[in-house]
Amino acid sequence: MKNRAEVLVLDDEAIVCERLKAHLESNGFQVETFTESRQAMHRLTEKTFDVVVTDLKMEGPSGLDVLRFVRDQMHGTQVIMITGYASMEAARTADYTGVYDFVLKPFQLDEMGKLVKKAAKKATRLRGRTEE
Amino acid sequence: MTSWKDTFRRREKAHAVEALRERLGQFRELVDKNNQVLELIADAGEKLGGEYIFDIQYLRTFAGEIETAVRGVISSLNAVTGNRYPKLWNTLESISAEINAALESRSFVPKASLAIPLEQVDEELSHTVGEKMARLAEIRRIGLCRVPDGFVVSAYACQRFLEAAGVEPIIAEWFDHRETIDEATLARGSAQLQDRIHGAALPKDIARAIRRAVARLRKGRSCSSLAIRSSALGEDGELSFAGQFQTLLGVAPDQVPGSYKEVVASLYAIGVMKYRQTGGLHPARGLMAVGCQCMVDARAAGVLYTLDPSAPQTDVLVVSAAWGLGKAVVDGGDAVDRFEISRHPPHHVLSRSIVCKERMYALASGRGVEKTAVAAAEQRAPTLSEPEIAELAATALRIEKYMKCAQDIEWAVDSDGRLFILQTRPLRIDAPRDPASLGTTELMIKYPVLMRNQGEVACRGIGAGRVHVVTEQDDFDTLPDDVVLVARFSTPRLAAAMVRANAVITDVGTATGHLAAIAREFRVPTILDTEVATQRLRDADEVTVDAEENVVYGGRVAELLRYQLLRSSAYAESAEFRLLRRILERIAPLNLIDPQSPSFVSEKCATYHDIIRFAHEKAVEQLTEGYWVRPSKASPYVRRLELEIPLDLIVIDLGAGLRAEPGSRTAKIGEITSTPLLALLQGLTTEGVWRTEPAGMDLDGFMSSATRALPLTTALGTKPEQNLAIVSDRYLNLTLKLGYHFNIVDSYLTETRNDNFIYFRFAGGATGLDRRTRRAALLKRILEKHDFVVEGKGDLVIGRIKKISFEIMRQRLEMIGRLIGFTRQLDIHLKDDSLVEKSIDSFLRGEYNAFSY
Repeated sequence: MKNRAEVLVLDDEAIVCERLKAHLESNGFQVETFTESRQAMHRLTEKTFDVVVTDLKMEGPSGLDVLRFVRDQMHGTQVIMITGYASMEAARTADYTGVYDFVLKPFQLDEMGKLVKKAAKKATRLRGRTEE
Repeated sequence: MTSWKDTFRRREKAHAVEALRERLGQFRELVDKNNQVLELIADAGEKLGGEYIFDIQYLRTFAGEIETAVRGVISSLNAVTGNRYPKLWNTLESISAEINAALESRSFVPKASLAIPLEQVDEELSHTVGEKMARLAEIRRIGLCRVPDGFVVSAYACQRFLEAAGVEPIIAEWFDHRETIDEATLARGSAQLQDRIHGAALPKDIARAIRRAVARLRKGRSCSSLAIRSSALGEDGELSFAGQFQTLLGVAPDQVPGSYKEVVASLYAIGVMKYRQTGGLHPARGLMAVGCQCMVDARAAGVLYTLDPSAPQTDVLVVSAAWGLGKAVVDGGDAVDRFEISRHPPHHVLSRSIVCKERMYALASGRGVEKTAVAAAEQRAPTLSEPEIAELAATALRIEKYMKCAQDIEWAVDSDGRLFILQTRPLRIDAPRDPASLGTTELMIKYPVLMRNQGEVACRGIGAGRVHVVTEQDDFDTLPDDVVLVARFSTPRLAAAMVRANAVITDVGTATGHLAAIAREFRVPTILDTEVATQRLRDADEVTVDAEENVVYGGRVAELLRYQLLRSSAYAESAEFRLLRRILERIAPLNLIDPQSPSFVSEKCATYHDIIRFAHEKAVEQLTEGYWVRPSKASPYVRRLELEIPLDLIVIDLGAGLRAEPGSRTAKIGEITSTPLLALLQGLTTEGVWRTEPAGMDLDGFMSSATRALPLTTALGTKPEQNLAIVSDRYLNLTLKLGYHFNIVDSYLTETRNDNFIYFRFAGGATGLDRRTRRAALLKRILEKHDFVVEGKGDLVIGRIKKISFEIMRQRLEMIGRLIGFTRQLDIHLKDDSLVEKSIDSFLRGEYNAFSY
């Protein structure tokens, strides 16, 4: 049976969500997008995702909060953090244990696609599932 | 024994060479910074191509980096020239202030003309003329269809008008600092704002600009009434605002200023304000550009959708049409004809519904529009003929192809049967996407993969068509539409064919090059540097290019092509996108083209690109001016070259460019170790290239020559210019003065492809301007055929090529050598245009004696 990796994309800019969704879907992923972190976190309690792609800076719970939430509650789910130039410094000082990788804006969609693929593989491995 | 005089002379010579080396060092620094600015511009242009996601922070960093690099260029120029251009600092400061203002407040509206003729508008101006008019002007500019003539009253004019009318205090009073805005508040605010606009006088300069634009528009045209349409900033953007703003038809020319006010007032219509609020925008803070166009006296008009919104999976265009003006169709309410047309040529009508049309909208004799009766015989007749339908369909699909998503188009056909496009915007269809059928893995099972992950994507998108492998002899005018162009090099010559192509693939090229920029401008899916495209893809084969996933499939991949049309967000723009485009306007355009023009002065620099262009030109001038170097036996790095041709050339070695024995003032070709100089000399000394017979001159040529002052920048009264080659093992800077014209070659040639470049500059001549211009035209054509990016005016030609592999670059330098020799006295013979063609042909055939001297 086919095993499609599930990805949750969280960014307060709708256009970023939309473009990531289109790109990841064309690479064969199942994608859900959220522009509000609270809603995204609620969804994470309902469903298991292989990869969470989240912006760092957002209104309400930040990307760091999402990371902590995933780390504490979910087994295997990988978090990819999108950060801007300025946030990189702050990122160095905070506790990002468990983050799969950082992606610095500006980034190429293709670059993100490849990273999500790798992260999804890791998630599958950790959960002891076999891919396709 | 050496006399003190000899010692002094030697020191003087050594000093002159040192000074030249130092100046050249500064020049190199300027060129480096100049290239850095160009790279940054290309890089930012690439970000607009749709492949990247970036944020405001990137824009700030970009603005900072480019400003620093431009500062570097100005610094180097002033170092080279002894601080001759201090005013450039002021220009830089004012451009940077404007960019920073844009970065700080996103509502920055650039100071623009109050009324801008449609022919001067392109999509880049969307923040000034609104997206609706920008798009319309764009499809007209690139020749996709006929659009009524007109002008746009800019958003800047609107901002000025709103300030003068004093709307801000009203907006603040009703809408700022409130938790919620209820309907009653909206209604009261709306009424007060509209009253204020109606009651306010247009500022005099705006009224004058509108009246002048109307007069200019009517000059030589039959334009007895106008259509005044909104083109609000953000209209047709994330929110469509479709039908929300006022449109006035059949406006008499003297009524345009008043109608303008009416359209602007619709910014504050209650419906618009509610719509803005629902869409998450401030209900009352908006700006509007207004399009004023000659009214089309429509015989029939209506709306076309390039896909059927109720069945997007079918290959059908849908047309609604009414007699007279399109108002009946746009407003709804009246029964109209409906046609379903095949999306495939020759666009057969698949189904039609012809209704009884008793009344129609027409221009009223006085002003505005009125409903009139349709003649009995016409009521049940179809509004469009088959050929008209086919033309409409083909036009709409051209627009869709350019816009890269399905379109909603307003059109009209006039009494002479001419088709006009009145508006086009993305057709919003919420179609379910089926990712399973779109995954690359699934498609690769279904369709043969001809290439995958070869080269780099220069412009994203999906396009299909028949392969056309480009050859030297290709005449792009006869190229069929809907081809996939496949070429060995990413030559700028391809640019001419780009607008017709559905996709472009090359063996060689870079995503930061000129062709890539053009691909993005015309939005043609493009993959460059694949190395193998011309071998793998065969002429006339049908292929689908997926320049999103970098895959080329055999056949038409219908799933991908449809998916692309339904993606409303293909070119949806975030605030950052718009902001980048806006700041690039103060960075990227090049206005200073011709160094011989009196307006080529530092005060005319309007963008960063202008500044670096000006600085580069002035630095080159300075480099070739003044110094006089003599070879000496004592110095191993200055030699006069012994050549088979009568050319007096001094070589100065900056390092490893010359292996000269001491004790001689001259060097043989065999002693040169500078790769670029050797390549160039090989071309220059090719048999037959350098003709030694004196060129006969006819009376015309002689008279022009005799009466012409020295054309070039070198000041008279200094010593005559020397032919100088300043070299290292990998570098060449060559200045040749041959008779009355100058050649400059600046080149770097290594195994590292990205470092390689050739800069070639040619100017001047002894004959009259017509012959010199012909020679320049010939140079331009030959350079373009060899993949150079060429610019110039009159007798000036500048060609550039970069980032090409060692061997090809070496061949190009050799070609430049032959070209310099070949064109040396050619202007004298170019008595008419036909001889230009003849000479180009003979040069390309390797026959250098096209004329018997």
